[in-house]
Amino acid sequence: MSIHRPNAINLFEGGILKSAIADSFKKLDPRDLVRNPVMFTTAVVALLSTILFARDVAFGGQFVKVVGQIAAWLWFTVLFANFAEAVAEGRGKAQADSLRKTKTETQAKKVASADSKTWTTVAAANLRAGDLVVCEVGDVIPGDGDVMAGIATVDESAITGESAPVIRESGGDRSAVTGGTRVVSDRIVVRITANPGESFLDRMIALVEGAKRQKTPNEIALTILLVGLTLVFLIVVATLPAFASYSGTVVPMVFLIALLVTLIPTTIGGLLSAIGIAGMDRLVRFNVIAKSGRSVEAAGDIDVLLLDKTGTITLGARQAAEFLPIAQVGERDLAEAAFLSSLSDDTPEGKSIVTLARSRFGFKDPVSASAMSFIPFSAHTRMSGVDMNGTEIRKGASDAILNYVADKSGRTPGGQPKDRSHWSNGWPRRAARPCWWRVTARRWEWSTSRTSSSRGSANVSPRCARWASAR
Amino acid sequence: MIATGILQIILYFVLLIGLAVPMGRYLAGVYEGKIAFLAPVERGILRLCFVDPDQEQHWTVYALACLVFNLVGIFALYALMRFQADLPFNPAGQTAVAPDLAFNTAVSFATNTNWQNYGGESTMSTLTQMLGMTVHNFTSAATGMAVLVALIRGFTRRQVRTLGNFYVDALRSILYVLLPMAVVMALFLVWQGVPQNLGDYTEATTLEGAKQLIAQGPVASQVAIKHLGTNGGGFFNANSAHPFENPTALTNLAQMVGQVLISAAFVFAFGRMVGDPRQGRALVIAMSVMLTVGIGVCYWAESQGNPALNGAGIDMVTSVTNSGGNMEGKEVRFGIANSALFAATTTGTSNGAVNAMHDSFTPIGGMVPLVNIMLGEVVFGGVGVGLHGMIIFVIVTVFIAGLMVGRTPEYLGKKMEAREVKFAVLCILIFPLSILGLGGAAMVLPAGLAGMSAAGPHGLTEVLYAYTSATGNNGSAFAGLSGNTPWYNSSLAVAMLIGRYLVIVPTLAIAGSLAAKKIVPPSAGTFPTYGSLFIILLIAVIVVIGGLTFFPVLALGPIVEHLMLAAGTLF
Repeated sequence: MSIHRPNAINLFEGGILKSAIADSFKKLDPRDLVRNPVMFTTAVVALLSTILFARDVAFGGQFVKVVGQIAAWLWFTVLFANFAEAVAEGRGKAQADSLRKTKTETQAKKVASADSKTWTTVAAANLRAGDLVVCEVGDVIPGDGDVMAGIATVDESAITGESAPVIRESGGDRSAVTGGTRVVSDRIVVRITANPGESFLDRMIALVEGAKRQKTPNEIALTILLVGLTLVFLIVVATLPAFASYSGTVVPMVFLIALLVTLIPTTIGGLLSAIGIAGMDRLVRFNVIAKSGRSVEAAGDIDVLLLDKTGTITLGARQAAEFLPIAQVGERDLAEAAFLSSLSDDTPEGKSIVTLARSRFGFKDPVSASAMSFIPFSAHTRMSGVDMNGTEIRKGASDAILNYVADKSGRTPGGQPKDRSHWSNGWPRRAARPCWWRVTARRWEWSTSRTSSSRGSANVSPRCARWASAR
Repeated sequence: MIATGILQIILYFVLLIGLAVPMGRYLAGVYEGKIAFLAPVERGILRLCFVDPDQEQHWTVYALACLVFNLVGIFALYALMRFQADLPFNPAGQTAVAPDLAFNTAVSFATNTNWQNYGGESTMSTLTQMLGMTVHNFTSAATGMAVLVALIRGFTRRQVRTLGNFYVDALRSILYVLLPMAVVMALFLVWQGVPQNLGDYTEATTLEGAKQLIAQGPVASQVAIKHLGTNGGGFFNANSAHPFENPTALTNLAQMVGQVLISAAFVFAFGRMVGDPRQGRALVIAMSVMLTVGIGVCYWAESQGNPALNGAGIDMVTSVTNSGGNMEGKEVRFGIANSALFAATTTGTSNGAVNAMHDSFTPIGGMVPLVNIMLGEVVFGGVGVGLHGMIIFVIVTVFIAGLMVGRTPEYLGKKMEAREVKFAVLCILIFPLSILGLGGAAMVLPAGLAGMSAAGPHGLTEVLYAYTSATGNNGSAFAGLSGNTPWYNSSLAVAMLIGRYLVIVPTLAIAGSLAAKKIVPPSAGTFPTYGSLFIILLIAVIVVIGGLTFFPVLALGPIVEHLMLAAGTLF
């Protein structure tokens, strides 16, 4: 996997600045301003000083120029706070756009109906809910949807963390597929259920754009502190005329206004929301999507990071590690049967059996391949195998094999070990899919290929395996 | 400023810290229940009062208990003053105290303010002094101590809804701390010549042949607790400047140490109780720095003397025969250094006893006590309330510091969130609201203006000081103000109530909210609250909040007076 680093957005990009200037006036709407009490106070005071200015201009006042200047500065303060917020938001938007570009350009094979044989290639982003797409071996499922027809094994390790591919088929509770997962075998037709803009990635983009920004707990606490300080200084300024009148001084209203604004914490109040947005924006540059300011804060409080194996670090490729014969079967015989029956299995697991058999016993590709009839692995049969000279060799899920044998011979195979405990002490019950081998048409032998290392960790990538053993 | 003066101040600090450290250990033991040699007495008293000592209280119940206890005290004291004429132990035949004065005084003593709009020897009977004033000196101090202990428990407990039992904490404060110390101190004072009797006032004939009535009574017992409990309400009108209340240099030293000792010891005890003595030490250092600056400025300003007198060619240079500097309103027995030290410690704590008249200080010298109270009396502060006021500032400080490093702020492992900040801000908001609100009203109302004895900025300072002192529950006064009027009696009482209970209740709310939280173990990202960076930040927060709030009004009072004094205008 490569790391996509979105290009850094220039802070003073012309487009951002232009829309930010417009936004800083739009944000003068009292309903927006009241969300930030300190700036709201400043705006109210600015309005008041503007009225004072107008009065002084109309009727002639002692401090016309001073009043005008103070009003201008106050409006500038409010506008600048809005501007800073708008720039931060604009940056977030630009970042989101670049994120959209890096969104995987999945191509989908759109079909008219479930049984249609021909398809048209469209971009995954253009799929609407209700569209039908066909997905074949190796295809990435283009969007969240339901399986309409067919059955397939799907590698969902990226989402669920389960390394074994899962079966997805139409109907029942196994019909839902998730966009971004990969079809490992067979072919399915999927009806897309999510419109563009509703997918997980789209929601992340929306968050970056600040559309759903909520105040974080610390921000709320800080706002309380700032409001408290604003109130304190409001009291200070409001009582000042009383003390001043005793001293025989009349303090002009406009000077009180100026004093109030210098005292109240306007700077931090004005930049607070911009700071929050900038923090999330900064994370995006490191390919971290913060779903909310809340999570940025929580990240700051992290002392210890505990990691368990999760989907994002799992490769959905189980690897055979050992042949574990049982009963009277020799390991070499087992390996050979496994080798032959896996030649036509293109799943990672099948390939790994071939590789393991080659490296352990040096098997070569069969010379008389023409005499053999290979049966590829499919999600329907959950088996693969080979027919040669009247001998059928099958490998697959245990119940599939059992049914197959029962169908063929009309009886359940004997010799099935009732007690599984002697297989191996370290048998990884959870992860293993036992593979059963039918060696000849007459003799039923039960053997198994162990597809996991003793710690049950071979189903994770080598790096994860090291973590697991270090736990 | 002279060497012996500075030396005395240093000696004072050494003595104070030397006593506060072991005392802190003792306090921690008492409140953690490890020291319990009076357990039978304690249990007996609690049983008598129908209090179950094992019944722990939620913060609301704790606060309610505290308020009810104080309310009952206020009514009892009020009744005592109103009926004192008909009660025994009234050698001087004092009449009933006027309703407004009685209300003011009752509130004043219940809130640990001990603002006195009366002269003790000319208004109160001996019974009122003993049963009213002295008892309230104990109970109001114990209330403050109990509240602090509850707050400390908020930090030490984890995920618990209760804070302890108010009655148990208050009783322990009296039994183990205040009472034994007061007995020792009273005996010391008696030894030094402070009267302790129930006799009649002595009638003496002066050298001029005039008749003089020399007041006396159970002085030593009241003076001892007056200092230890940072109450400050003297037996005599002249308070600790009176030779019967403060006869010698030793009593003066004992009173100065006594009024800070328990508060300072509590800071050390705090460190012990939260399991990290460094935390207590850091706060002691922050408080000491602020106290030292206050004393330094006051001592320096008073040593400069009055520029008007300097200009008149009067010798103001300190020598063996001349105390030098500004001696107006000061006891010759104590001199400038001890007066400045007394003034700074009595206002840094919420004591309010005086051994010199702050009204007569130079403008800058007089501004020091004023600023000390305005900053919230957190320089050791009143018993209990001082440290809890400091912790409020600490909460604000760690909050600001936490935001700087981008983590949820925490103090002693407790996260400081919106709820704590809300109540901390409420505590901070109360001060300017009461001081500037009521003070501003007094500056425009005729009733308020009538009380001033001085004109111009000095008059403004007198009024400002009165409301600051009342709100801060200090009780010292710029004595020029005639406070015994219905307006001042009632408005100052309101200020005292606001400054006491509107701080105690939010503090207990913080304690309750903290006790319910988990304790987060410190990690590499935790802001250390014992280093020099924290101490500097804490002092800066206190000074900036206090400074910005009160600077405008200070500029109209002491600062402009100082400038006008330099220019030769007197008030």
